[in-house]
Amino acid sequence: MQAQNTLLNTEYSTDAQTEPIEHRFNPYQDNGGTILGIAGEDFAVLAGDTRQTVGYSIDSRYEPKVHDVGDNLLLSANGFSADGVQLVKVFQNQLKWYHFDNNKEMAVSSAARLIQHMLYRKRMFPYYVATILAGLDEEGKGAIYSFDPVGSYEREQCRAGGAAASLIMPFLDNQVNFKNQMDPESNGTKRRPLKYLSLEEVIQLVRDAFTSATERHIEVGDGLQILIVTKDGVRSEYFPLKKD
Amino acid sequence: MNHNPVNWGRPSDDQYGPYNYQIANASNVASQATKNSQNEFPTMHTQQPMITGASVVAVKFNDGVVMATDKLGSYGSLLRLDDLERMIQVGDSTVVGVSGDISDFQYLQRLLDELLIEDNYDMEQSNLKASHVHEYLRGVFYNRRSKMNPLWNACVVAGFDADGEVFLKYVNLLGVSYSSPAIATGFGAYMGVPLLRQKVENEEDVKKLEKEDAIKLVRDCMKVLFYRDARSWDKYDLCVITKSTKKIEFQKGLECEGQSWKFARDISGYGLPQQ
Amino acid sequence: MSINAIAKKYSYKTLAERELEDANEEYEHFVPNLSTMSPSLTLPPISQPTEFLRAHTDDSVNPECKIKIAHGTTTLAFRFQGGIVVAVDSRATAGSWVASQTVKKVIEINPMLLGTMAGGAADCQYWETWLGTQCRLHELRNKERISVAAASKILCNLMYEYKGMGLSMGTMVCGCTPKEGPTIYYVDSDGTRLKGDMFSVGSGQTFAYGVMDSNYRWDLTVDEALYLGKRAILAATHRDAYSGGSINLFHVTEKGWVYHGNYDVGPLFWEIKEKEGSFNNVKV
Repeated sequence: MQAQNTLLNTEYSTDAQTEPIEHRFNPYQDNGGTILGIAGEDFAVLAGDTRQTVGYSIDSRYEPKVHDVGDNLLLSANGFSADGVQLVKVFQNQLKWYHFDNNKEMAVSSAARLIQHMLYRKRMFPYYVATILAGLDEEGKGAIYSFDPVGSYEREQCRAGGAAASLIMPFLDNQVNFKNQMDPESNGTKRRPLKYLSLEEVIQLVRDAFTSATERHIEVGDGLQILIVTKDGVRSEYFPLKKD
Repeated sequence: MNHNPVNWGRPSDDQYGPYNYQIANASNVASQATKNSQNEFPTMHTQQPMITGASVVAVKFNDGVVMATDKLGSYGSLLRLDDLERMIQVGDSTVVGVSGDISDFQYLQRLLDELLIEDNYDMEQSNLKASHVHEYLRGVFYNRRSKMNPLWNACVVAGFDADGEVFLKYVNLLGVSYSSPAIATGFGAYMGVPLLRQKVENEEDVKKLEKEDAIKLVRDCMKVLFYRDARSWDKYDLCVITKSTKKIEFQKGLECEGQSWKFARDISGYGLPQQ
Repeated sequence: MSINAIAKKYSYKTLAERELEDANEEYEHFVPNLSTMSPSLTLPPISQPTEFLRAHTDDSVNPECKIKIAHGTTTLAFRFQGGIVVAVDSRATAGSWVASQTVKKVIEINPMLLGTMAGGAADCQYWETWLGTQCRLHELRNKERISVAAASKILCNLMYEYKGMGLSMGTMVCGCTPKEGPTIYYVDSDGTRLKGDMFSVGSGQTFAYGVMDSNYRWDLTVDEALYLGKRAILAATHRDAYSGGSINLFHVTEKGWVYHGNYDVGPLFWEIKEKEGSFNNVKV
C-alpha cells in the first residue's frame, strides 16, 4: 500500500503520487543479513553472513557482525547495523566496568541480563536489532540467549535472527530439536529422542542453513563467518557463500 | 491499551490517536526542496539537505587508496558552486571525502580541525590515524541521528590505521558504516561501484591492482558519473594515498578526459529507443 | 553546586568533544540505584515520542513496520479451595511470525509470588523481574514477606507512571500470604489493578473463560483444578492462532508455588480429545 513512497521522487513521478513523500528523517534502516547460534554439550557457535545491504544495493561483501567480546562470550546484533555496532560497543564497555568492579569473568547468564537492561533502556526508542549471545554456562555447557529488540530474552538450544530467520528457524527446529521427527522403530508413536550434536554436525548444519538461505534470500550471501566457543577459547572459521 | 481480544495488548487509537504511517515510511532519499516541506516536528532540525555535493568514489589498490570527488555544489537542480573541494586531509594519515549537505560538511571540517589540534597538543608526533577519525565520525553521526538531528552526509574515510596499514571505510548520516575494497556514495553507489568491482571484487583483487590502473579506474568512474548523474560535474579532485611512501597526494581540478557522447544520440525518454 | 558541576562550568571543551558529550552517557559506569533499580528510559527526542514508538513497532496495524516486538498471549489464573492455579501457553508472535514456542510466560517473581506474561514480552519480563527486587527490598526493610496487595500495587504504580507511553502488559500477580490467603491481582499497563477470583488475559482469553466458566467450582480438588487450567488453555490454543506451543502449569499455596509441568499442545490435544470425547469438530 505504501510502496510508492519508496520510489525516487522525480518530476515525472509526482503525478502518480497518492500522498506527498515525507522528508522527515527516518532514524532506522534495514541492513539485511542473518545470524544463527547453536549450543552443543560443551561448545556454542554463533555464525553470521558477511553481506551488508541497503535496499537492493550490496554495500559490503565482507563486514563481519559476529563479535568475540571477551570472557568467552560471542555477541551479534543483526538488523540496523549502526544500532548493532553501538550495542556491541556499549556491551564491551560495560564488561570493562564489570572487570574493574568484580575482578572476575562475566558469566553468560549475567551478560544476558546486562543486555536485557541495555535493550530495555531504549524501550521508547528501540534498537532495531535481533540479538544473540553465545557462551558456556557455569557447568561448561553451551548456552545461546536470544533477545527481541526491546530485551525480552530466553535461553535456547538454537536461534536464527535477522532477514532469513524465517527460512532457517524451521530447519533448525527439525534438525537440532528433532521437532516432528519420530523414532522409526515406534511406528510413529514416539518422538525421536533428543541428543546433543557434535561440533562437526553443528558446523555442517550451519553451513547448510546459510547456503540454503543464500539461495532464497537476496540479503544473505557473500561469506559465512562462524565463531566457535569452547572451554579453550574462541576460534573462527570462514566459508565463502554465493555472491549473486 | 486495546482490550479487544483480537488486538489484545496493542496500542488503542482512543489513547494514542491514529497510526502514523508518515513516520513509519519516512525516507532519507535526498530529493529537491519541495512544496511539501511544512514542518510538523518542532524539535527537528535538518529535514533535507540544501546545497549538496554528489558522489565520493574510492578504491583500494596494491599500495594504497585512490579517492575522487567532483567540484560541484548543487542547490536542487541549480548549479550553485563550481569550485568546491569535498576532500579534507586530517593530519598526515587521513583523508575524508564527504558527500551530502555542504553546510554540514563544513561543520564536520571544523570538528575534524579541532580534533587534529587537540591531538597535536598531547603528542610529540601526530597520533591521529584514519581508523580513529572514522570511529570519531561514526560516534558523531550516530549520536546526531539518535537526537533526530542528523548531519546529512555520507563520508568515505581513507588513509592509514594505527599499524600503518591501508584503511578505507564508509560512514553516513545514520551512523551506518562498512569497509569494502571499493566504496562510493550517492549515485556512485549505483553507477560507480559496479565498475570498480569489475576490477576489485575482494581483498585478493586489491593486490593485483596497480596505482596507475586504480587512478584510471576512478577517473573512468567520474566520467561515467558525469555522463549519467545530472548532479555531477566534469571537474573533480583526486587523491592518491600511497603506503610505501606514506604520502597523501592531491591532484586538484582534473577534468573528465576523452568524453564520448555518441551514446546519447540513441537515447530517447528513459530507456531504449521506442519503435 | 557540586564540585563536578563547577568543574564542568569552568573547564574548556572543544566542539569536537561536546559533540560526543551525551553519547558518552551510555558508556558510563552503570551504578544501580537501589530505590528504583531500573534505568531511566530514553525517549526519542521529538515532539510525539509515543507516535514515533508506535509507528515503528505496532505491527498489528502496519505489518510493514520495521521493529517487531515479541508478544505473548493466553494466560489464566483462578482461586479455589486449595489455593491458586496458574496456567499459560508458550507462544510468542512478532506479526504472523511465531518468534518462539518455548516462552516462559509465568515469571517467578520470588519463591512465593508468580506473575504472568501477556502483551509485550519484554515489558512483562523486565518489570516483573524488577518487581522481584522490590519485593526482596521490602523483606529486608520490614523483616516480613510482602503482601500480594502491596506487591501488585508497586507494579501498578510503576505502570501508571509510564501510562500512555506505549508499554503493553497484562499480568496477574498471584501469591498466598497468611494475612490474605490465596490472592490474585490483575495489573495492566493502563494502570488498572483489580482483585478477583478468576482472570484470563490475552488474545485467547475468551476461549479460556468459556471453559473455566462452565467447569469451575470453588471446591474443586487440586487435581481437578490443575486439569481445568490445562484444559482451558488447550481450548484457547486450539481456537486462537496467537496462542500455542505448550502449556505450563503452576499451583500456588501458603508454602509457595509448585511447578506442575510442561505439556506440548500437539500430543495433549489428541490425548484429551480421546479421554473426554470432546473436540468432536476435529475428525481423527
